[in-house]
Amino acid sequence: MTGWWSTVMAILARDVLSEWRTRERLGPMAFLVLLTLLVFSFAFGGEGGAGTHTGPGVLWSSFVLASLFGFAWSFVEERENGCLEALLLAPIDRGALYVAKMLGNLLFLVGVQVLALPVFAVLFNVEPGWHLLLLVPVCALGAAPLSAVGTLFAALASDQRARELVLPLLLLPLMMPVLITAVAATRAVLGAGEVRDCAHLLAMLAVFWLVFAAVSLMLIDVVFDR
Amino acid sequence: MRTADERVWAGVLWASVFLGLAAVWMALQYAPGEPHMGLAQRILYVHVPAAVAALLAFATVFLASIAYLRAGRPCWDHLAAAAAELGIVFSAVVLVTGPIWARPIWGAFWRWEPRLTSMLLLFATYVAYLMIRRYGSHPSQMRRTAAVFGIVAFANIPLVYYSVRLWAAGQQLHPQRVDLCQQMRVALGVATAAFVLLFFLLLHLDVRLRLFDDALAELEDDSSLNQTTKVEPGDGI
Repeated sequence: MTGWWSTVMAILARDVLSEWRTRERLGPMAFLVLLTLLVFSFAFGGEGGAGTHTGPGVLWSSFVLASLFGFAWSFVEERENGCLEALLLAPIDRGALYVAKMLGNLLFLVGVQVLALPVFAVLFNVEPGWHLLLLVPVCALGAAPLSAVGTLFAALASDQRARELVLPLLLLPLMMPVLITAVAATRAVLGAGEVRDCAHLLAMLAVFWLVFAAVSLMLIDVVFDR
Repeated sequence: MRTADERVWAGVLWASVFLGLAAVWMALQYAPGEPHMGLAQRILYVHVPAAVAALLAFATVFLASIAYLRAGRPCWDHLAAAAAELGIVFSAVVLVTGPIWARPIWGAFWRWEPRLTSMLLLFATYVAYLMIRRYGSHPSQMRRTAAVFGIVAFANIPLVYYSVRLWAAGQQLHPQRVDLCQQMRVALGVATAAFVLLFFLLLHLDVRLRLFDDALAELEDDSSLNQTTKVEPGDGI
């Protein structure tokens, strides 16, 4: 098990280091979130009080769109430089490879959320306060199931002819429960819902993560069987 | 001379025709009308059986996808694809009959009501499943992708239901408990049996057609191979 975790950590550290040196993923993802926030702000007419009502939906829609790019990139880059083939040839557990890629995707998505939340708060006139700290677990637990299922399907779509089309087709229908729950939790934190509901919603997001991660781990050998 | 297999499926065909006609008669004549909803209530005998058949179809996609990933035989993939198509058709019946019933009862064709919304999401998920099959690259890759999607999509069904129930808690309009009289229950049971038999019959025919397609493609491949390797006398060899 120690060897298994050290494999996970080695691949994760390599992904983080690679991103640190190239900054190919985090920058475009964060800018994509910003652009989506702007598009929706203009689409809704820039209403001042939109923060608590439409804001959470807009925020999570922008995270989902950015995550599509991030998940796809995590495998496309690997494929193009032949690194994925080398990893699959190496005597390592494929579950460890999946968990490392999933944690990497989660880390980058949370990084994008950290960058995007202040911009969102300004654009959508969110009332400042300590209660906003609750957004940290909401964002992390919302990003976790997205990363779990997104990593699995990004691996599957990476060798498809029309992968730009296949990945959204695979991911978007299955992301709906996560989106619905994460938006409800964000709305509760921003004041339009009951804060006490938040614990229940966070527990639901954690269950989604466990379900998606367990199913993905069961299927990952098939996915990487090239 | 019919084989035993053909005799069984001919029996299923006649049973589904008989049950279908019986269900129509029962829904319109045998079962009494509901005093508050009137005629609109009778759509129940199509709406509920179609929902049962749709869920059965999605469960079939799940099981056939597992079988395909384990055994790798194309017939399991054909079964999953055929079941997905039928699931889409039956869920479309649910999505069409729901609003027809809802207009006089709820006063609007569409409400974002948990069960109706869940069915809409399932419909969208399995349409995506068919599109993946259409736009996938190599057949074996496409089949593997579709099988993985079919498994995750089925695991997602309870998550969809619970999250939509949470999202649209204020819109919960579906009757949560329906007290049906004996005749209504019998009519609903017969209609459900007719839909389930129809599902299995169509599934069988669809899979058979796909297997014929495979056999035909194999024959065409063989004949084109023979043509290209055929050596005419005097070719200088």
